[in-house]
Amino acid sequence: MKIYYLMKKELIEILRQKQMIFMVIVSPVFQLLIFGYIATTDVKNLPVEIINISNSRYSQEIINRIEKSPLFIIKKITSRYESPIKNMKEGKIKAAILFRDSFDRKRNPSGFPDIQILMDGVDSNSSLIAAGYFNGIINDFLLTEFDKKGISVAVKGKSLLRYNPELKSINYMGPAIVAMLLTVIALFLTSSSIVREKEQQTIDTLLISRLKPVEIYLGKALPMLFVGLLDMFLGVTLVVLWFKIPIKGSIFQLLIASIIYLTAILSIALLISTFTNSQQEAMFFAWFSMITFILLSGLYTPVENIPWGLRWITKINPLQYLMKIIREIFLKGNGMKFFYKDIFSLIIIGSITISFSLFIFKKTVSK
Amino acid sequence: MRRLKAIIIKEFFHILRDPKSLTIVFLMPVIMVFIYGYAISYDLKNINAGIIDYSGSRYSRDLIKLFTNNSYFKLRNLQRTKNPIEKGEEFLRAGKIKEIIIIPADFSRNIVSGKGSEVGFIIDGSDSNTANIIYQYNNMIIKTYLTKVQKIKNPLKVKTKVYFNPELKSSYFFVPGLIAILLLMVSALLTSISIAREKETGSLDLIFISPLKSSEIIIGKTIPYIFIALFEGIIILMFAYFWFKIPIRGNLLSLFFFSLLYIIAGLSLGIFISTSAEDQRTAMLGSLMLTMLPSIMLSGFIFPIESLSKVLRGFTYLIPATYYLKIIRGMVLKGAGIKSFLFEGGVLAGMSFLLLLISTIKFSKGREKTK
Repeated sequence: MKIYYLMKKELIEILRQKQMIFMVIVSPVFQLLIFGYIATTDVKNLPVEIINISNSRYSQEIINRIEKSPLFIIKKITSRYESPIKNMKEGKIKAAILFRDSFDRKRNPSGFPDIQILMDGVDSNSSLIAAGYFNGIINDFLLTEFDKKGISVAVKGKSLLRYNPELKSINYMGPAIVAMLLTVIALFLTSSSIVREKEQQTIDTLLISRLKPVEIYLGKALPMLFVGLLDMFLGVTLVVLWFKIPIKGSIFQLLIASIIYLTAILSIALLISTFTNSQQEAMFFAWFSMITFILLSGLYTPVENIPWGLRWITKINPLQYLMKIIREIFLKGNGMKFFYKDIFSLIIIGSITISFSLFIFKKTVSK
Repeated sequence: MRRLKAIIIKEFFHILRDPKSLTIVFLMPVIMVFIYGYAISYDLKNINAGIIDYSGSRYSRDLIKLFTNNSYFKLRNLQRTKNPIEKGEEFLRAGKIKEIIIIPADFSRNIVSGKGSEVGFIIDGSDSNTANIIYQYNNMIIKTYLTKVQKIKNPLKVKTKVYFNPELKSSYFFVPGLIAILLLMVSALLTSISIAREKETGSLDLIFISPLKSSEIIIGKTIPYIFIALFEGIIILMFAYFWFKIPIRGNLLSLFFFSLLYIIAGLSLGIFISTSAEDQRTAMLGSLMLTMLPSIMLSGFIFPIESLSKVLRGFTYLIPATYYLKIIRGMVLKGAGIKSFLFEGGVLAGMSFLLLLISTIKFSKGREKTK
């Protein structure tokens, strides 16, 4: 019952400020909407320049195919060679495609032009994808030409795509963004909660009250758990209704995973709040752990790409587990059977951080 | 001038008094550069794939050899299990493998007869990016196989030449970009609290009734952070150059000049938030939600701007980091000069001017009220 009043006070502190309500409720929704559209790894509208010295029927055909593709935007077509490097340096184009007639008629009896792709390699991922797409265009072109000449191809690949057959990256990123925003809100709000009272010197009032340290601790954590779950609910609803990403798995299991995850992340935040002396300091620690958690969670790049020496960090990163679970529930409809190990890891991380931060808190309080 | 100096010194003391924050401010860039340089990588290698070879012929073994003879795939034979396809699907669902390769029983027969055969791939599409890359690796390997088995020379030669980053290392992309993010963190995040803190502790009233002009207070509060940010930028740049061996191809002096412009823009943003926020907590969340996250997501730091929809691309023009990323990548990696980025530099200067003007007006208004 005593905790109830503390919890009420904490909630009132958040709800009292219009700006705070905005930050906790409106801004995550807004962010999710925007990030849902941005955080796609699809490459589109890559600006290219075409230098067509060959000017043959074939080169024209390939250029037509490039023009039709949504992946490339042709910024400029010339028939005289000039170095595209300057435009590349200024970032106006990302690649130049050069068509040139082959000099050696004997070795190249087909009359196809030689093609050279000059690429800006700075954004290595986009470059790789773009080169792959371009090769796809060339392949299609060759296949139709072979067909015309009556050559059949010995082996064809036939691909089946599971779980996300249209390869929409939003299906993969959407749920993950919810997990990310949840982390941001929970870490930042909570990490300032105790240190704020220290700064305003109201902590003494709390300490001389009849509340036990554990009760103070819980009174701080539970309202935030509530706020976190509210944000989670908003995020999942938005992802399902707006982005039309179906949940294939069980919502109940997602809820359980989220609560366990939030417990871990909230105790980390409270730990930060306990050992720092000013809100500014707390914010820096929160920011630092947030960035590390997000970057090493597999949000943008698969965890498997991380080299062995750094892989252990991902093992102690709670967000990594939630990312994996939320994606499996949304996309694959997997049940407990597939991620009970991850839940277990989360529980271990959660109990270690809780006992540690509670221990530190008690120690500070007894001073 | 003397009054300005006094407030600069005061602000410096504020920062130095708090060694924990300072350590984080300087330690964080190093750790983040390290994580970005090593851990964030798009280079897909050793993709786990299951293979089911129903044909078991010379032809199919040749094809499998092509899959194993590179660093792209790590194959796992599913043949020995009772129901290979079912087992494969289960592995796929659990994420143990990313694709199943199926070679049908009539594979060699159909090749020999000239009818043409097929190879089946079942790919985990949940991560569309990875799936796309796997799809392309598959096609590449089949193409190589064709030139071997059918002995048709690929009549169309495509040569690819990559500039500025021939080995396509992700660190070339991320590490210079990180400078933009960390500079913003120092400039916007640190300053955003500076005025809000004085509001909260009540010391703002003291400054209000001092003879200082509003513009002097604003400028005096920003200058110390310029130094910190510059120092930070230099640390990361040195780390990039000496540790990650990222070539600096442009002129350092012009890079310095543009970085200064960018830092000032970030500071103005921080001050702007600071004058609007009621307390430190809102200022922190505000600067995080309104500057940091958009700068990471919308500036082209990770996701290319060209791929965004038109509406969102409009948003990117409002973010200082968009312009600075273009500048720093152009100057560091491509060796571009000042002339290429006059427009971007102008926008940064304009933004700072506008934001500082609004903040000063807002600040003086608040001051009038207290008086």
